[in-house]
Amino acid sequence: MLISCPHCGPRDLAEFTYQGDATRTRPDLASTDTAAWHAYVYERPNPAGLHREYWQHSGGCRSHLLVVRDTVSHEIASAKFARKAREMIG
Amino acid sequence: MVERESPLGPAFEPGAFPNHAGDTGIRLSEATPAGIVEACAWPGMEQALRNAIGKATGLRVGAAANAAASNKDAAALCIGPSRYLVRSARRDLFERMQAEVAPETGTVTDLSHGRTCIRVEGNACEWMLSKLFAVDFHLTTFPADTGLATAHHDIFAQIHRSGEDRFEIFVFRSLARAFWRELREAAAETGYEVE
Amino acid sequence: MSPRRAAAGGTIDRSRPVGFTFDGVKMSGHEGDMLASALLANGVLLVGRSFKYHRPRGIFAAGADEPNALVTVLRDGIREPNIPATQIELHEGLRVESQNRFPSLDYDFGALAQLAGPLLSAGFYYKTFMGPVAGPLKGTRLWMFCERFIRRAAGLGRADHKPDPARYERMNAFCEVLVVGGGVAGLMAAEAAAKSGKRVILAEQEPRLGGMARWSGEEIGSKPAREWAEGLAARLARMDNVQVLSRTTVWGYYDGNTLAALERVGDHLPRRPGDMPRHRHWTIRAAKVILATGSIERPIVFPGNDRPGIMLAGAAMRYAAEYGVLPGEKIAIFTNNDSAYRAATVLKAAGASIAAIIDVRKEISTAAQALAGEAGVVPLLGHAVVGTSGKRLQRVILRRFDPQTGLVSGDSRPISADFLAVSGGWSPAIHLASQAGGKPRWDDFLQAFLPPVPQQDWSGAGALTGGMTTAAALKTGRSAGRAAAGQKPSRARLPQTEEPGLDPSPAPVLEIRAGGKAFVDFQHDVTADDVRLAHREGFVSVEHLKRYTTLGMATDQGRTSNVPGLAILAEARGISIPEAGTTRFRPPYSPVPIGALAAERHRHFKPDRLTPMHDWHLEHGARMMEAGLWHRPQIYGQAGETVEQAYVREAKAVREAVGIVDVSTLGKIAVKGPDAAEFLDRVYTNIFSTLKVGRARYGLMLREDGIALDDGTTWRLGEHDFLMTTTTANAGKVMQHLEYYLDLVWPELRVHLTSVTDQWAGAAVAGPRSRDVLEACISGTGIDDETLPFMGIVHGEIDGAPVMVCRLSFSGELAYEVYCGAGHGIHVWEALMEAGGPFGIAPYGMEALGALRIEKGHVTGAEIDGRTTARDLYLDWMLSKKKPFIGSALMDREGLIDKGRIRLVGIVSLDDRPLGGGAHIVEDSTSEGLGTSIGHITAFCYSPQLERYIGLALVKGGKARHGTRARVSDPLRDRFGPVEIVSHHFFDPEGKRMHG
Repeated sequence: MLISCPHCGPRDLAEFTYQGDATRTRPDLASTDTAAWHAYVYERPNPAGLHREYWQHSGGCRSHLLVVRDTVSHEIASAKFARKAREMIG
Repeated sequence: MVERESPLGPAFEPGAFPNHAGDTGIRLSEATPAGIVEACAWPGMEQALRNAIGKATGLRVGAAANAAASNKDAAALCIGPSRYLVRSARRDLFERMQAEVAPETGTVTDLSHGRTCIRVEGNACEWMLSKLFAVDFHLTTFPADTGLATAHHDIFAQIHRSGEDRFEIFVFRSLARAFWRELREAAAETGYEVE
Repeated sequence: MSPRRAAAGGTIDRSRPVGFTFDGVKMSGHEGDMLASALLANGVLLVGRSFKYHRPRGIFAAGADEPNALVTVLRDGIREPNIPATQIELHEGLRVESQNRFPSLDYDFGALAQLAGPLLSAGFYYKTFMGPVAGPLKGTRLWMFCERFIRRAAGLGRADHKPDPARYERMNAFCEVLVVGGGVAGLMAAEAAAKSGKRVILAEQEPRLGGMARWSGEEIGSKPAREWAEGLAARLARMDNVQVLSRTTVWGYYDGNTLAALERVGDHLPRRPGDMPRHRHWTIRAAKVILATGSIERPIVFPGNDRPGIMLAGAAMRYAAEYGVLPGEKIAIFTNNDSAYRAATVLKAAGASIAAIIDVRKEISTAAQALAGEAGVVPLLGHAVVGTSGKRLQRVILRRFDPQTGLVSGDSRPISADFLAVSGGWSPAIHLASQAGGKPRWDDFLQAFLPPVPQQDWSGAGALTGGMTTAAALKTGRSAGRAAAGQKPSRARLPQTEEPGLDPSPAPVLEIRAGGKAFVDFQHDVTADDVRLAHREGFVSVEHLKRYTTLGMATDQGRTSNVPGLAILAEARGISIPEAGTTRFRPPYSPVPIGALAAERHRHFKPDRLTPMHDWHLEHGARMMEAGLWHRPQIYGQAGETVEQAYVREAKAVREAVGIVDVSTLGKIAVKGPDAAEFLDRVYTNIFSTLKVGRARYGLMLREDGIALDDGTTWRLGEHDFLMTTTTANAGKVMQHLEYYLDLVWPELRVHLTSVTDQWAGAAVAGPRSRDVLEACISGTGIDDETLPFMGIVHGEIDGAPVMVCRLSFSGELAYEVYCGAGHGIHVWEALMEAGGPFGIAPYGMEALGALRIEKGHVTGAEIDGRTTARDLYLDWMLSKKKPFIGSALMDREGLIDKGRIRLVGIVSLDDRPLGGGAHIVEDSTSEGLGTSIGHITAFCYSPQLERYIGLALVKGGKARHGTRARVSDPLRDRFGPVEIVSHHFFDPEGKRMHG
C-alpha cells in the first residue's frame, strides 16, 4: 500500500504508523464528562468502506496525515496534513 | 578541543574491496561535518527561518519540500514541513544559528554529536541505494541538490543528493556502525572503496 | 521406445556438451537445455514417484506448470527440494536427485501404498487418527502411533537442516510501465511504451524472451518468430529507459500497483561468485502495469492419464521445436481443440510418426484437417482415450465418444503408441490479474476463465485477454503499450504474421468417464473420483473442495488441474463452471525461497544500536546483553565469576564506594518553545512549569485511559528549553505520543521536539564517593551541595570536553549523571574512571543497576507494564490536583481504584533460593504448590545489602499485606517456597543516602 504524503510524495506503507480513527472528538483537557472521554478512548465505528484516520509518516517527515482510506480495498482517496485540516475547521 | 570520535569503530576499514570482476563502482566515506543542527520554524515563519539559515551559513534554501542547498562550507536540506537539517565545516554552527534564529522564528537544536554523515559516491550509487531504500533514486525524480527523509527498517535516514552520483546520508550516531555495515554488504556486488 | 535427441532442430548448441548427474548417474546434455529436456534426450522417462500413491511419473509439461518432475538440487553442500526439472537450466556439474522414492526410482517400496488405495482417498486424513474410540483398542491412541510412520511417508522432497549459505538481496524499483511477460504481446507492449520515452521494466520468468514464438514454428515479419523475438528483445535491452529482467517471475500483485518479483540471478551458473546474490527480491512500484502473462494448457482427464510417456501437447511441441528432443517415436494425440494439430505437424517434422489424432469432437475446422494431412494422419473424430497400458506407455485404448452426452460406446480399440500428447484447451494465466482484485469471468467460447475487470491500474495483452493467436498478441501488445504510455493508438502496420485459421474454441469436454483411476491433480494424487467423493460428502463449495481434496494446493498451485477439477465439481452439482466459481488467487504465483524474502535481514535481523562507550565496554570484559536494539553491558565479569557474583560485587562497590554505569540509551527529547512548559504540564501528571532553570524533576506520564505510560526525568536548561528523558524501551513510543498531541490535539502550542538520544553520552557516577570523583576531574563549576543540590544541573568541563551534570539517582546513592557530546563519550568516561581510581571506582552493568533499583523500590518498565496505574505503584503523590493532564479524566474510574487491585510490594525469599520474574504469589497452596494467585513478581535479584534473595511484585492489597507470609508458585520453572511480603523500599527508605 502506498500513501501519498503531501510533503514527501508517495511512500511505502512501511514508512507510516497508524494513529487511529480521525472521526472522534477529544474532549477538552479539563473536561470531566466521562461518557465523552469513554467514547473518545474506546468507541470506534469500524466501517467497511471509507474511513477517516490518522497516519504518521514516522519513517519520513514525521508529519501526521489525515487519510481517507477504503478499509475493504485499501484504496486511499486522499491524504492531507492533519494539522492543516484542523486549522481549516478552525 | 577534544576530538569527536567516529562511531564506525572497527567497522571502518580504508582500502579497496573490488567485486569478483575486479571492479569498484562505489566510494564510501564518513563525512560528518563539525557542526550539525536541526532548525524548525513556527507555522508561517518558514521563510524567516530560511533567511536566518542564509545569514548564518550563506546558503540560499528554496521553499520546496525537497529543497537542499550547498556551498563551500555548509549545506542544508529540508527534512519535513518547516524542518531543516543544517550542517557546516565550522564548529560554531549551533551558536551562529542560535544568534540568527529569533525565538519568534523557531528553534535550533544541536545535533553535532547526534548524527553521522555517510557519503556514497560512484556510478553504481542508485543501484546500491535502491537495495536499502524504497524511494525512487532516478535523476528525474530525485534531482541533484535535493533531499528527502526516509528509513531503512529501524534506521531513519535523511538523504541529500549533492551530485548526480553523490549522496550524503544522515543517520543516528548509535545506528551508524550498523548502517555502515549494511552499506558495505550492499556494495559488495559492485565492489567499493573506503576512503 | 524412449525419447531422444533429434539430429537437428532446436536452439540448443550441439557443439557444447554439458555434464550433469541424475540419481548418481552421469549424463550429458547441451548448452541451452533445461534439465527436463536433457533428461528426455537421455531417454529418461521416469522422474519421480507421486505424493500419496507413489505412482511412477514422468515429465508432463515444459515450464512453470510442471506437476510431476520435482527434483532435489544438490549444491554448495545444501539440498534444495521440490524444484521442477522444467525450470532448472542445465549447467556443468549440476547434481540432481529424484524424490519420494526408496530405495530407488525404479523399485520403490512406497508403491505398496497403492494397495491401500481405497483407504487413502480424499479426506482420509480427516477421518482417521482419532482413537480408536471403541473396541478393545479404545484409549490406546493407536492411530497416534501409526501417524508417526505415515507422516514419514508423506511429502515430496526432504528439506535440509543446514543454514542457507547463499547471498540474497532485495531491490526496490520504480517505473512508469511494468510489463509482465516477455512473449510476443509483452515485447510489443514494452516497445510501444519505451518508444514514447517512458521508464519501462519488462519481466520474463524464462531465461530467454519470446514466449511461444521460440517454438511455434511461425513467422513474424517475414522471419522465423524466434528470430524476430530475439531481435526485438535485444533492441529493448539497449534502450536506456528499459530494464529487461529475465529469469524473473512476478509472483505477487499488491495494493497501489506494487508487485513482487523473484529474479534467479545465479542459479544457472556452475560457479557463483560470493558477492553475487543467488536471488534478488524485487519490489516494483509501477504507475501502470501491463499483464501479458499468456495462457497455460490444461489436459483432459481420463483413466490411466498419469503414466510416464503422457505429456501436454504444447509441451511436446516445445521439446521438439526448442530443444530438439523427440519425446517418442510413435506419437498419439488426444485433444478437444485445434491447437494440438499444430503440435502434430511440429512433432512429425522433428522425425516422429503420428500414430493417431484422437479428437472428442465430431467435426473439426478445415485448417485442422489440413494440418492433420501434413502430419500424415486422418483424425479419429468422436473418439476418446479411456485407458493406457504399459510400464512405460505402450498402448492407448480408445472408444467411441459423444461430446454431447459425454458417454463412451462401442468396443475398446487399442492403438500402439510410445507417447501420448494431450490437449484440453488453454486457460489464460489470470493469477496476477486476479490477485489485483475482482472475479474472473468465464468465457464459454474459450472454455476458460478470462481475467476480472481491473480493480487496479493494469491492462492486459495477448492470450491473457483471450486473444490466442500471434496476430492478436502483436495487436493487443502494441495497443496496451501505447495506452499505458498515454499515447493514441498507432495506425502503423503491424509485423506480418500468418493466420492459419485454427479454431480457438475447444469442445466443453474435460473429463472422460470410464473405469480406472483418472488423475486431476497429479502432484497431490487427487483423482476425479476424489472430487466426486468430496461433493457426495457435502463439500460442495469450490473452496471446500480445494481444502478437502487438496486439489490445487501443491507447489504447482493447480495450474493444470484447477479447471478440469472445477468442471468435474460443476457436473456433479449440476451447475455450470462459472456458477461453481474459482478459488481465490493468492501470492506467490510460484514458490519463493524464504531467504529471498529475508534478503539483507538474512543474517542481520535487526541493527545493533551501540552506545558511544560500546568499544570500551568490550575491551574491559563486559558481557553484553540486548535491550531492544541496544547493546548494553550486563556485567563486567572477572575471571571465574558467575553472573550473580559479578553483579553483587558491582552493586556492593556502588553502595560502599563508587560505581559508573553507561546510561546513554535513555530516550532524550529536546522540548523547546514558548509553550514547552505548558505542554509538559499537560503530558506529565505533575507540574513542570514551576521547575526552575537549572533544575530537573522526575515525571510520570499516563495514557488517555489512565494507565501509566512512562517515567523519566526532565531537565530545564532554559526558559523555553527542556531536555526530557524517557526509559530506554519507550523512547520511540513517547516521542510518537508527544508528536501526536502537538500535531493533532494542540497544534496551537508552539513546541518543537527533536530526538537527541544520540546527541548525548550519559554516565551515571553513583556511590558515597561519587562527589569526590567529580571534584577530582570537573572544572568550570563547583560540585558542592550548594552549587549542585539534589536535582540540580551544572555545566562544566571534564578533561577539555564540555559536560552537563545533573544530580539525580536511580540507585538510591549519592549520584550524578554526567552528559557530554556523544563523540566525547569515551573520553569523558575514561577521565571519570581515572579520577575514580583512588576511590575504588568500578564500572557496573544492567544486572547491578537492577539490583540497586530493586533494593530501593524504584519502578521501571517491568512495573509500568501497560496494566498498572500510578496508584498501583504508590505514585499517587505525583498526580497533581491543580491541573488536568493526559489521563486525569479516566484514571479515577471504579475499576482503576478498586481495593482489590494488585499493588507494588517487596518480596523476600525465605528459603535462600532465587525468585523468578513472572512467578505467582499465592496465599495458601495445595500440596503441589498451586493455589489462587494474588499477584506476580515483576523483578528479582540477590540483594547485597539484605543478603537475601528479594524481588518486587504486584500483589492484591499491597501495603495491607506488609509483614505477612505467602508462597511463591511457579509451576513452569518448578519453584515453590515461602516468602514474606514487605515494603518495596527495602533499603534506605528515607532516601538519606542520595541527599547526602
